[in-house]
Amino acid sequence: MPAHASLTNATIARRSPPAVRRFSRWLAIPITVAAGALGTVAPASAAQPAGGIPDLTGAWVRIDATGSGSFDNLAAGFPQASLTPAYAEQREREKKAGPRTGAWDPNKKYQNGEAYVVTAGTCGFPGGIEPNSAAFHIVQDRDEVVIVRENPGLGRNIYMDGRPHPDLKRFVPTATGHSVGRYEGGALVFETVGLTPGGVPAGGYKTPETVLVERYSLSPDGNRLTMRYTFTDPKIYTKPHTFEILAERGLPRQLAFEWYCDAADPKQSQGVAPPKQE
Amino acid sequence: MAFALKNLVRASLRAATVATALSMVLPAQAAAPAASFDPHNISGFWELPYDGRNIPQANLQPSVTPAVIAEHRAKDANSRRWCYFIGMPMAMDSPRPIDIRQSAHEVLVNFETRATPRHIYLDRKDNMLLDDYDFTSTGDSVGHWEGNTFVVTTVGIDGDKGLTLLPGGGFRTTDSKLTERYRLANNGNALIVTFTWEDPKVFKTPHTYAYRYTRAPKFYEVQTTLDCDPLDKERAEFFANPPSAK
Repeated sequence: MPAHASLTNATIARRSPPAVRRFSRWLAIPITVAAGALGTVAPASAAQPAGGIPDLTGAWVRIDATGSGSFDNLAAGFPQASLTPAYAEQREREKKAGPRTGAWDPNKKYQNGEAYVVTAGTCGFPGGIEPNSAAFHIVQDRDEVVIVRENPGLGRNIYMDGRPHPDLKRFVPTATGHSVGRYEGGALVFETVGLTPGGVPAGGYKTPETVLVERYSLSPDGNRLTMRYTFTDPKIYTKPHTFEILAERGLPRQLAFEWYCDAADPKQSQGVAPPKQE
Repeated sequence: MAFALKNLVRASLRAATVATALSMVLPAQAAAPAASFDPHNISGFWELPYDGRNIPQANLQPSVTPAVIAEHRAKDANSRRWCYFIGMPMAMDSPRPIDIRQSAHEVLVNFETRATPRHIYLDRKDNMLLDDYDFTSTGDSVGHWEGNTFVVTTVGIDGDKGLTLLPGGGFRTTDSKLTERYRLANNGNALIVTFTWEDPKVFKTPHTYAYRYTRAPKFYEVQTTLDCDPLDKERAEFFANPPSAK
């Protein structure tokens, strides 16, 4: 998230009038009483989960609790994936083949002045399952939990209505796959299949058949979210591949920033050539 | 003992006050037919069918000349060509179902098109002061309930982002204010949304039109986003050349 956006949001949070907060709390009591008496539900809580369900709704920002400095360094601290021999061999072959010409290779040390392409400039929606450096927002409804990013990327739709996964033969894999969830022991637990093939942090890999189970649990004060990812796929892993990512709750009333991208701007797709160092 | 008695009296008075307050509400509620759906829960996937639009002609200011409209049409064509985020209000006119989800703090509206999600905040009464706000394609929205109607006001829509022409005529600018009123109908299976645009530079009187969405089947599955590739050459050709009869 660009610095100016977070500054703006922080400013907004600071300027939230406390009188309105007090008014909301004051109003909440009679509304709750009246709603209970009428046998209906207060408007704002129409779809609010029942007690014992964590309140995940709101803005969240991924954090680097170990001072790793980048996501790659953060992921380097995760337990490494334990790959099957067949799959490890395949990965080795792919590594030797290298990335497509001109594509950015995270494993390569670039020379000063050597250009590489960081984005195709389509301003597209690649999406993904792990949060990136932009904030993400969770909205919990009885039948669905939705997670959206502040920059382009498919939203995550986690169906909570008891439906099963579809037949994968009839499902077009996506960056976010098909997710079904439930609440278990105070955490949101959801299972995803139908993911597009690709890398997974800490040396893992995923295919449409890979089963990903995520467990979102809150700290006692409700301000820290632990997202535990467990990938299972007997053709790839000798044991489930698990790692955790942490996020911190955004500021009260934090606005969702809109990452805007102009594909007509040629700079969107230019290569990056680090300047020569003296 | 006297202290306990005092507390008892206080509690009785409080209960009587609450009962009186409720009695003012209950008769009206009792008279209304019992709804088989929660009128305050608009969560769901909603489709806009071909007969779902009621769009009167906008009453435009004389300054909104055909030439001005043509400028906006060209701008919108450029937005389509380069796959800019659709923005409000055209994101709500989606060829795919829109996903509306309510929580205690916000109502989220998510799309399967080239549109960013809408966050309608419930925990504040007023829109952002615009000098504090980075304008976006969907603007800053706050919502509240008036009876069984969910009322949403939106400001801060960037006049330069997305599709600007409005159904019924006219266009939105950075100064436009949009008020939406959501109400469930047809036993909870239809969602009627009226859109009212106010912008004295564009409209002589507020411009109001309505959409009637129908609820998607219970186990509707979100589809792969209808994406848009601005660098697709064949697609660019489609935009660049007028249609030919050949």
